[in-house]
Amino acid sequence: MENKNTDLVIKNLHKSFGKNNVLNGINFELKEGERVVVLGPSGSGKSTFLRCINWMEEPTSGEMIFDGELVTEKNIRRIRRNIGMVFQHFNLISNMTVMENLTLAPVKLKLMKRAAAEKRAMELLRHIGLPSKAQAYPASLSGGQKQRVAIIRAMMLSPEVLLFDEPTSALDPESIEDVLSLIRELADRGMTIMIVTHEMSFAKEIATRIVFLDKGKIIEEGTPEEFFTHPKTERVKEFLKKIL
Amino acid sequence: MDNFFAKISELFSTPEYIDSLLHGFLLTLQISYFALLIGIFLGTIIALIDTAKPSRWMIVPKLICRVYVGIIRGTPMALQLFIMFFVIFAIKGFPSIIIAIIAFGLNSAAYAAEVIRGGILSVDTGQTEAGLALGLSRFTIFTKIVAPQAIKNIIPALGNEIITVIKETAIVSMVGMYDLNMAAKDIGSGQNMASYIVPMFVAALFYLATIYLISFIVKRIEKSLRRSDLRVEK
Repeated sequence: MENKNTDLVIKNLHKSFGKNNVLNGINFELKEGERVVVLGPSGSGKSTFLRCINWMEEPTSGEMIFDGELVTEKNIRRIRRNIGMVFQHFNLISNMTVMENLTLAPVKLKLMKRAAAEKRAMELLRHIGLPSKAQAYPASLSGGQKQRVAIIRAMMLSPEVLLFDEPTSALDPESIEDVLSLIRELADRGMTIMIVTHEMSFAKEIATRIVFLDKGKIIEEGTPEEFFTHPKTERVKEFLKKIL
Repeated sequence: MDNFFAKISELFSTPEYIDSLLHGFLLTLQISYFALLIGIFLGTIIALIDTAKPSRWMIVPKLICRVYVGIIRGTPMALQLFIMFFVIFAIKGFPSIIIAIIAFGLNSAAYAAEVIRGGILSVDTGQTEAGLALGLSRFTIFTKIVAPQAIKNIIPALGNEIITVIKETAIVSMVGMYDLNMAAKDIGSGQNMASYIVPMFVAALFYLATIYLISFIVKRIEKSLRRSDLRVEK
């Protein structure tokens, strides 16, 4: 907690699945209040990179320092409370109601009393316009509703950083905007955010920094302005030509 | 046909026959019940070891489970029963009901393990990841998230296993035990009845009724477990 200036430092991160080397030495820093959008062609390791940050995938080698503390197998569970994650497929717990999804972690981790957690959950549900769904099971929600609940579920733990792994890729066009505006709102409130997305205009709008991955390495990074209008590498120029 | 019905009423009005059938039926139920308790308990342990996160400490237990399940599923139940009776428990005076329970329990464990393992693996990995990302322990994730979802997939298949065991216990008559199957044969070979078809028909009704009842209960449990899949509120 003492060192709030740098949230996260990653040094020489490697990740391989068997013989398949997905990340080949990533060096990266994330500072408080930054909003980093990770871009790159498919198979470049964007999602794996994001998933390594909270050890959904355990790094093969390299060093990660979160709030001045080296991340290890021993402390990762505690650190995860400070790194919220929103998944492409929402991953709401299907045998629990929306309310139970929201209160499970804060109550189980003894961060909140049940009554306080439920009160907070209701506030957040009201905020996203879904207070009537508190007792509903995830199966009865639309994709957009599920993802917004997943976002406030991550917020229940008041994390320092929020990771979004293609949060709108599984949504219909109408729901996408609902989810994006919720993310935008978190950004406006100063949340530190990392997003893997294919929504280029959103990336341009929300990012304070763009990171471009190719073949498991960061080959270019900069402000959206620099990145989209003055790309430095041929690879990025080629990428932008295809998508814009 | 008249003779058939006459024999049926004779069977049901002779206390001695009824007594034999009920005795046999009770033994069938006892063996099945205790064997299934052992089977589901051991099967759960095997499935948990089999689906546990791979690590250095789990290599040997995982291998043992794999080999155990392979051997049990790869050999006939009747042979396993014979080995128990005539090799492992070839001790004079050892109660045969216990031997039968152990034999069926160990057999059922392997099948139950496969059913439970399949149920656990059928739960979407995203559910586990959701729990991990929230900082929950593997224990909490299993008991609160994975197990309740796995049970929904396990119950129907486990119902099958229960039915299979009840029917399969009929082979204890091969080692001379007086179960429902044996009772039917015994009554049929008696001089008074002098007909196999009638007692065997009645024994079949006993089996059928039991299995029908179990299927009914399993369906009810299944239905109540599926509540969260329906678009209803709690």
